[in-house]
Amino acid sequence: MMSRVNDPELTKQRLHAVVEEMYDRIVKGEPPTMTLPVRTKTNIGFDKKLGVYKYGKKRSTRDATNLRSAKNLLRALHVVEFIEEMIEAGKSSTLREMYYISEGWGYGKFASQNDSNNLAEDLEVVTSCLREDFKLRPEEDGARMIGNITLEELNRRGQWMRINARDDVGDSGYGVPYNVEVEKIQLIEHDVKFLMAIETGGMFDRLIENGFDEAYDCALIHLKGQPARSTRRIIKRMNEEWDIPVVVFLDGDPWSFRIFASIAYGAIKTAHISEYLATPSASYLGITADDIMAYDLPSDDLSKKDIEALEAELTDPRFADGWWQDQINMMLDLGQKAEQQSLAKYGLDFVTDTYLPEKLGEMGLI
Amino acid sequence: MSGIATKMAKGQKQIAISEFFEKNKHFLGFDTLQRSIITAVKEAVDNSLDACEEARILPDINIKITKVDMKRDILELQSQDNGPGIPQKSIEKVFGQLLFGSRFHAIRQSRGQQGIGITGVVMYGQLTTGKPTHVISKIASESTAAVVDIGIDTRKNKAIKSNQDRMIWEDDDGSIIEHGLRVITRMKGKYQRGRQSVFQYLRMTSIVNPHASITFTDPEGETFHWPRVSEKLPTKVDSIKPHPHGIELGQLQRMCKDSSDSRMTVFLRQNFSGVSMRAAKELCDAADLDVGAKPRLLKPDHVRALLESFQGERTNNGKAVKLLAPPTNCLSPIEEILIKKGLSKTIDSKFIATMTRVPNVSHGNPFQVEVGLIFGEGLGGDKPVEILRFANRVPLMYQQGGCLLTKAIESIDWRQYGLDQAGGRGVPKGQAAILIHLASTNVQFTSEAKEALSDNESVFEETRKAMLEMGRGLRKHLEKKKKMAKTREKFELINDILPAIAAKSAAILNRPVPALSGSITKIMSAVICEEETEWNRETKITDVKITLFNYTSRARSYSILVNWPEKAGAEITENERGGRKEAMGIWGWKIETLEPGEKALIEYSLTGLEKGDWTETEVFFRGSQDVIGATKLDEKMLTQIRADEAALNQIELPEEEDEEEDYLPSTVEGNPGQATLFGGEQ
Repeated sequence: MMSRVNDPELTKQRLHAVVEEMYDRIVKGEPPTMTLPVRTKTNIGFDKKLGVYKYGKKRSTRDATNLRSAKNLLRALHVVEFIEEMIEAGKSSTLREMYYISEGWGYGKFASQNDSNNLAEDLEVVTSCLREDFKLRPEEDGARMIGNITLEELNRRGQWMRINARDDVGDSGYGVPYNVEVEKIQLIEHDVKFLMAIETGGMFDRLIENGFDEAYDCALIHLKGQPARSTRRIIKRMNEEWDIPVVVFLDGDPWSFRIFASIAYGAIKTAHISEYLATPSASYLGITADDIMAYDLPSDDLSKKDIEALEAELTDPRFADGWWQDQINMMLDLGQKAEQQSLAKYGLDFVTDTYLPEKLGEMGLI
Repeated sequence: MSGIATKMAKGQKQIAISEFFEKNKHFLGFDTLQRSIITAVKEAVDNSLDACEEARILPDINIKITKVDMKRDILELQSQDNGPGIPQKSIEKVFGQLLFGSRFHAIRQSRGQQGIGITGVVMYGQLTTGKPTHVISKIASESTAAVVDIGIDTRKNKAIKSNQDRMIWEDDDGSIIEHGLRVITRMKGKYQRGRQSVFQYLRMTSIVNPHASITFTDPEGETFHWPRVSEKLPTKVDSIKPHPHGIELGQLQRMCKDSSDSRMTVFLRQNFSGVSMRAAKELCDAADLDVGAKPRLLKPDHVRALLESFQGERTNNGKAVKLLAPPTNCLSPIEEILIKKGLSKTIDSKFIATMTRVPNVSHGNPFQVEVGLIFGEGLGGDKPVEILRFANRVPLMYQQGGCLLTKAIESIDWRQYGLDQAGGRGVPKGQAAILIHLASTNVQFTSEAKEALSDNESVFEETRKAMLEMGRGLRKHLEKKKKMAKTREKFELINDILPAIAAKSAAILNRPVPALSGSITKIMSAVICEEETEWNRETKITDVKITLFNYTSRARSYSILVNWPEKAGAEITENERGGRKEAMGIWGWKIETLEPGEKALIEYSLTGLEKGDWTETEVFFRGSQDVIGATKLDEKMLTQIRADEAALNQIELPEEEDEEEDYLPSTVEGNPGQATLFGGEQ
């Protein structure tokens, strides 16, 4: 299941293949190129064996016939060299550090951190390695988690620390580190019926204050918007290793639909490692387009960008099933979107006393 | 110098309407305290510029405004020039009588056209402060300067002189002043800054008078200087006689009455422009007048009939009498290169486009339109562009919205030229300024305030055409810039990035660095032309360098052509490659073979230009493979340029193969000044 290579020699070998492609083209008197899968929704398809969405067969060639692509190729070479140096020296760096280190790369310098993040992903895709193999760490911090879950984390002193995410933490919960693999985190035991992933910090805190996790025997995870890889990965591990259902509670807008797709089906940008990050059995709790009407929630008009995003989702293979098509079309017809916290219209306890029990009941979880 | 000064004074007639001023000072620009000081500066500066121009002196003008009495808003204006000065006996006329001045009666392009002039300032000063105006005048032929205080008896339209004296006039640094004029007036006024201010007026004046050096000291003591950027005085303009199409009944009656000519034909030919012997006879026939009649004795009905035949209402055998167009050498356009210089001295520019149209005629009045567009720093980004309007080199600062020139700007779709404009109409927005100059013998204003031009279809159309033509040049420039940016990227790619990729990949794989030529040809797969036009500070000439790179896999052959400002007097030198002149302002070279991967260099210099005159060379090519950075030569265009050239030479021939008589044509030799396809100047 793991895409991680965990073999420095193999990683180097695969990176060299990328460099060889460029070199050989120049020797042949052609512009150097880098071939990689097309990373858009037009090239993701459902992998029946893995149960997630993966990149298809479409390949694009990035060649040095325009300045932008040529610079990208040069940057890739610098990154390859940098990774090799780190592997040799037994070091690692954050993506942000690499961005700053690129200051010294002359023409190969990154224009923005977004460029360096994208290039690291490109290399993952081309080599089928993970950025952990490249010794690159994300800057992003993982989620917060609360609930009766016990795990062990290897701390800085190299000792395994046992932590219960209900009894050993404060109100802000357990902070999920960027590496949640077995060498860092061991899942020990739990006493929850389901996991609930929550988009906004406000709602996460509301449920904690109202004691929802204890009242309904569940664990709560704050996603912080578009969830980091480690967040998606730990959700997946708990779901698989403990076999507990996952429900996702988000705002009711086109961007939340995308967050859900990245948790359940795999994100377009990381489709090369979907089987490692996605939780196919996760289900969408709300806010749905139905909810806006059924609960008469305070709502906002869809912006031009919202409408464009919804229309793009209609042709996204991940939303091809009937339920999603209905939801998206309904939102388009309604012309409205609503936030999770709009439930407060009926009081602070409405979400925990009425809305969630009703929705969870419908889903058969309580 | 005194000869000129005396002659200028001689041609002047007087009209007594001093009282008119007092009652109508709002017409004359003295209606508000803010405006009065601007008008006063304007009259003084116009006078100085006109006098210097006539005497062929490069003007140095110094304006200083000080606050004399804060509580009562009393300002003192001191203006000084290095002009020819005024002979002592003429001072009282120039400063003491309204509508005194040669220009009121002559038909040609002049600044103060309707001639209220400096007397208005003297009068306003006297009315508001009770003080006379102090004048120091020095003409070159006398050893001392005349000093006098001038006041006005507004009832008798007569000057009141006091404190007359003569003195040795020294400048602040102790040097003797050879010739010049200093005027000091106290007046009620309020100094302000902004769009309508003395500062703005002088700034605009300096734009259209690049030959003038103007210094201004404001009431705070801050000094501004607009330097002279051209040693070239405006072309000397000749007075022309009125054209029959532009005359009014009253004027015609007066001309008849004052005439001492013995015959109508002589009168018509000698007092009007555009009237040939044949036309004079036909005009008389159409008006049922005897060609031998004495003009002085014409009855009012006859004069009216004559006017009607002028205007084509009375015909000769059913046809209006054909008249020649008036000569246009009475106009003095600023000319494109000087507009560029004028604009760039006051605005920090990124790009300037200009266009001077060929003179045209409306109702018997010659006129000429010039426009300029400047993209610059420090001009408001999302605000409307600055509109710089000028009539006969005089800035128009008020009533922008009601002016014909503004309307012409508003009628153009500026969006294609990189400016914002809602709906493609109205004043565009962006970091730019648009200049329009109308040179005309008879500028028609909407009111006596002389701040907005009244509607005139021909002028409107000419202005539009000028802006559209200028816009074409601009669009070409923008396209070229875009292409060159792309080309520069490609050069960066092959010169910097590709070698780095080769070196880095070789280093990682521990293999030899591969050769790049094959990849380069594949990446570029084009012929590229680079042009560099630069002012050489040391040699004081303009150096041009054109490089042609062949990045294709085959040998190529081309003709390369360039434009250069031949009409502005530039000559090509240091041209080792030779080549030949293909047309006026077009030079060409043949490049027989350019092998793959090779480059060809064309280098030459242009003499006879000043810094900033020529900053961009247009490159054309003849050949099958496209050249990035050059334009494929349109042979039709070349033919057109040659045809224009031939036509221009034609004009220099006498315009009419006229017959007999003791008459000297009032039309003048020389051609009327043509613009080329490249926007060169005469």
